[in-house]
Amino acid sequence: MTSRLAPLALLVLLSGPSSAGAGQYETLDYHIQQMIVQSAANDEAGVQTFREQLDNLRRPEAGDAAQAQPLFQQGLDYLNHNQPKEALSAFRQAFIADPADAETAGQLGFSYLRLGRLKEAERLLVYALALAPARSASWLHLGQVYGQSGDATRSAGAFANAYRFAQDRPRLAGQLRQLAATDSADAVRAGAAQALRPGQSAPATQLPAAGKSTSVADLPPPAVATPVPVSPPVAPPTARTADPAPSTPPAGGALLDSLRQGLSNLAKPANTTAPNVGLRPMSVAVGDNPGQQIYQNSIPRTCLIVTFRNGKTDSLGSGLLVSADGLVVTNHHVIENADNLAVKCGERESVARVGKRSKEPDLALLMTTLNRVDGFVLNDAYSQELIGLEVFVIGNPYGLEGTFSTGVISGLREIDGVRYFQISAPISPGNSGGPVILRDGSVIGIATMGLKKGQNLNFAIAAAELIHSGLFDPNRMKISAARGKNP
Amino acid sequence: MNGGFRGAAWLLAVGCATTPALAQDSERSRYYIQQMIELAATNDEAGVNAMQRMLEQEPRPAPRDPAAARAALQRGQAALRTGDLNVALTAFQQAGRDDPGNVDAVNHLGLVERKLGQFPDAERDLQRALALEPTRASAWFQLAQVYGLSEDGRRARGALANTYRFAQNPMRAEEILRNIAESEASDTLRTAAVETLRLYQLPVEVVIVPPLPANPGIVPLMTAPASGRKP
Repeated sequence: MTSRLAPLALLVLLSGPSSAGAGQYETLDYHIQQMIVQSAANDEAGVQTFREQLDNLRRPEAGDAAQAQPLFQQGLDYLNHNQPKEALSAFRQAFIADPADAETAGQLGFSYLRLGRLKEAERLLVYALALAPARSASWLHLGQVYGQSGDATRSAGAFANAYRFAQDRPRLAGQLRQLAATDSADAVRAGAAQALRPGQSAPATQLPAAGKSTSVADLPPPAVATPVPVSPPVAPPTARTADPAPSTPPAGGALLDSLRQGLSNLAKPANTTAPNVGLRPMSVAVGDNPGQQIYQNSIPRTCLIVTFRNGKTDSLGSGLLVSADGLVVTNHHVIENADNLAVKCGERESVARVGKRSKEPDLALLMTTLNRVDGFVLNDAYSQELIGLEVFVIGNPYGLEGTFSTGVISGLREIDGVRYFQISAPISPGNSGGPVILRDGSVIGIATMGLKKGQNLNFAIAAAELIHSGLFDPNRMKISAARGKNP
Repeated sequence: MNGGFRGAAWLLAVGCATTPALAQDSERSRYYIQQMIELAATNDEAGVNAMQRMLEQEPRPAPRDPAAARAALQRGQAALRTGDLNVALTAFQQAGRDDPGNVDAVNHLGLVERKLGQFPDAERDLQRALALEPTRASAWFQLAQVYGLSEDGRRARGALANTYRFAQNPMRAEEILRNIAESEASDTLRTAAVETLRLYQLPVEVVIVPPLPANPGIVPLMTAPASGRKP
């Protein structure tokens, strides 16, 4: 489409039903998304057309700028001192005082981004861009939001607009190169790299070889006391080039090869002699080390789950074998965005497909080829008497395979009608979907989320929820209602 | 059933069944407002719109002395700015008497009564303001606070839902709701804000884990949770 025809076609599209009748935010979002699409297609005329459309929309009523200004300044100070939670509070008050200021809305969106609250960040940044469509910083942050959400395509379009509208283009290109090389999210790196490729607005010259990603230890500490799913993006196993995502995901053997390659780069547990199949007899454990006994028995049935999206590794989590014919249970949030799945239970690997899934409770049942290994015994118990009982957790936090931790059942919590055990055993991103085990080896819960604030305030969906969820045939389960005493 | 038909059905139902039973205009207005709250709490847009139209057809009170009302309103606003709530209260009461149809005066009266903790009076006068202008988001917001501080979670949620529904700037209203959801000391109001955000499927982070129930019992899965916290 030539640049002269493009605006006309876009105006025709705009007069259609796409945005008619939509709410205020939806109308703004429609225009911003169109700017991203046009930008990703390097259609300058299209971007400008939608920018003009935004400029012509009715502006929100100005608020009290005098009241907002000191709050805004306070927010900047907090950001400069790496206090995003406090910054969020200050920028929010400034925004409430004067919602017509694009700078304030943009900084509020950025604060949400810093806190990992991507949905809120997206809404505020879209709003900020609707107020000031040429605000490069908001495009840059929106690109990061989409990238961190796993959407490399929209990330690239937003990054390209960041460059397009940048006052200081060399500086912005440097920021994009930095993101392409070092950001911890695959899709952010891919989006930034795509925006830097020839044909896009930003120049690809002097694109450095990608370096290592930000390590977990470099990330700022979490600050909001909120239950968060514990499924992280996969850290890149090696330095990678800035190739765009392939158009089709790997499947079958290629998927397993990809899994193996990825797994080989993840940190392994020190003991690599985990059994191949079957259960270790209890007697192999060191006599006065019940943890070792439980570990040996559980590790062949505890799974690492790797998800793939747009042909690339997306996230990882944990799971547990629950039947002798290869059924694996994990959290729904671990697999919800996956195009393909691979699992590794003990030393055995398999591709997997989703049999059933449920958002509430947050559970999914995967079907694998990993037969000939007995599944965990599920424990139906859920009562006050369990509080104080010792529990053991196995999972893959941050890719550290087979990490074993202990704690106690701290409480019973019912959240949105779903029963959880609050446990003190440490869990981290990557533990999602893994087993919480009693001393008798039965699984009492599925590790699901933790509070960022506080210490060891973690939550596991009660196994009783799984048993009664209808996710799979109870006849294929092994169920116990024991209290988890010593075997 | 489409929205238009539902709205018509509401109008018919209300017109046929309730009007004869409610003699007083003010009682009828309050009934419509309570219906708007109930319907908003369940996100029944057609029902809310129908009640809004009913309210807009109610007769307006005749002014006695509009000029005196405006002067009293200005005195009240000045006193409010300096924090002299009792002076403001007297002035707004005077303005409301001189012109019962002056929505600013009646709304400010409700606001001051809420600030003074006179919740029944505040509820009555904020409902008067909403009877005059059913889309007045600030009055809905004040009314939500009255209900929240009176531990009436359901009505607080309905009033907050109408605050968002009628907000001139929904993004600002969204942030106000998030601010309440994350920072408000009153459990009832905070919960109502969380529920309102969920009602409109807006992102929210719950900062406090629900308290431990006395006897959790066994809740069957795949049924709606008893807490009703889902949108």
